[in-house]
Amino acid sequence: MFDPKAFVQEKIDELMTKIPEKAIIACSGGVDSTVAAVLVDRAIGQRLLTVYVDTGLMRKGETDYVRGMFDKLGVHYKLVDAREEFFDSLEGVTEPEKKRKIIGERFIRVFEREAKIFGAKHLVQGTIAPDWIESGDDLRDTIKSHHNVGGLPKEMALTLVEPLWDLYKDEVRLVARYLGVEVSERQPFPGPALAIRVMGEASRESVDVVRDACAIVEDELEKAADQGKMVLPWQYFAVLLPVQSVGVQGDRRAYGRTIAIRSVESIDGMTAAFSRIPYDVLERISLRITNEMKANINRVVYDVTHKPPATIEWE
Amino acid sequence: MRVYVIDNGGQWTHREWRVLKYLKVETRIIPNNTPFEKLAGVDALVLSGGAPDVASEAGRMGNNGEYLDKADFPILGICAGMHIMTTHFGGSTGPAIRAEFGRTRLYVDEPDHLFSELPKDFDVWESHNDEVKIVPEGFQILAHSDTCRVEAMRSLKRPLYALQFHPEVENTDFGMDIFRNFLKVVEGWHK
Repeated sequence: MFDPKAFVQEKIDELMTKIPEKAIIACSGGVDSTVAAVLVDRAIGQRLLTVYVDTGLMRKGETDYVRGMFDKLGVHYKLVDAREEFFDSLEGVTEPEKKRKIIGERFIRVFEREAKIFGAKHLVQGTIAPDWIESGDDLRDTIKSHHNVGGLPKEMALTLVEPLWDLYKDEVRLVARYLGVEVSERQPFPGPALAIRVMGEASRESVDVVRDACAIVEDELEKAADQGKMVLPWQYFAVLLPVQSVGVQGDRRAYGRTIAIRSVESIDGMTAAFSRIPYDVLERISLRITNEMKANINRVVYDVTHKPPATIEWE
Repeated sequence: MRVYVIDNGGQWTHREWRVLKYLKVETRIIPNNTPFEKLAGVDALVLSGGAPDVASEAGRMGNNGEYLDKADFPILGICAGMHIMTTHFGGSTGPAIRAEFGRTRLYVDEPDHLFSELPKDFDVWESHNDEVKIVPEGFQILAHSDTCRVEAMRSLKRPLYALQFHPEVENTDFGMDIFRNFLKVVEGWHK
């Protein structure tokens, strides 16, 4: 089937000739970009700078987690705080494709700056097959512009290197396990991050709301999986809907927003089935979200759509 | 064995390539405007799915028709690849009475080559707006679903096969077996 050992050897050889000088890698701390970072690190060592961008759109505790993970990996890295820049450029933007393109361009501008400081001409990305397939091309419809492919600006100063281009998530995980990368089993997380889990404008306030909801969904499903109530889903998160509905909180009328829980089973992200989460686990998530987040949320729904016709993320 | 995938712009074209690769076949993804002469030496083709509505956007289907005319080897058409095969040989396609997306129950009518040694019915994954209305003359229906009459067909004269559902995706049961069965047909054809 897929041979991670042969793949790693082939890619390291290829990267050694492809990158004659310095390079930077865009690394979010997810499986794909971390595997790419380790591969390139093996090929060119200190000539590689690993760059993590704190976009302000990341999950709870993510930046601290990534710092610790990079320390353990022993890669040469830099964390860039670009939170203001990202939120400013997303102001007033509601259309999902526009959001994705703005984020793609922002990333590249940050990487261009960092590459200039470090003296690199190459930008390595952890792009995998679904990213370019769904981004579309001459033949293929654009389903969604992945920030690292369809979201790239037309004019850019860096040469791209994408060693995982032909792989899917399950194959990347095999490579990650072979390389002993600790993030091998982390759930997928989209490049545009929480910005596409807020329907409509990704304001600072809305992103904070969905970040809290995502943390609750993750916490409860991981606990349920640890307790043997269910198998940990392939991907699981919360989406903040702009839909407002009437509720009653302590004899007072409420008119808050809605959280949708999304959880799917998949192998490669190209097809997916919604997860059959036990009702008591769903109930626990619903109670925690509506109680802990009462100022914003008074309704929780569960998404029971497969891919196709839906996609896994909502935007 | 060399089996190329003709890219009609499907979301799962690359999955077809992956399945063939896993089955140890020499394979490549080829744009659908590639001249037939450039395919010299292939043992079979897979015509991928894609977004075009074959009935009204034939232009986007490139040289699929030429391949179907000139091939002296087996061809497997999937989804839009099935629709182009249908219209090319005089059958017809059109908007499905009921579109099918995601899980669908498949009922095998003719457990021949493609479905050999598989159950009589099983779950497959679909993604189509259009469907085959009339199969071309000399073609036989091999499988159906509750909402689609032609889920699989083959020519009785030439080694041409077509599927409406997607055997290349992970969620389709026995998808890899269907590809294995197709490769057995290819092997038999070239003996």
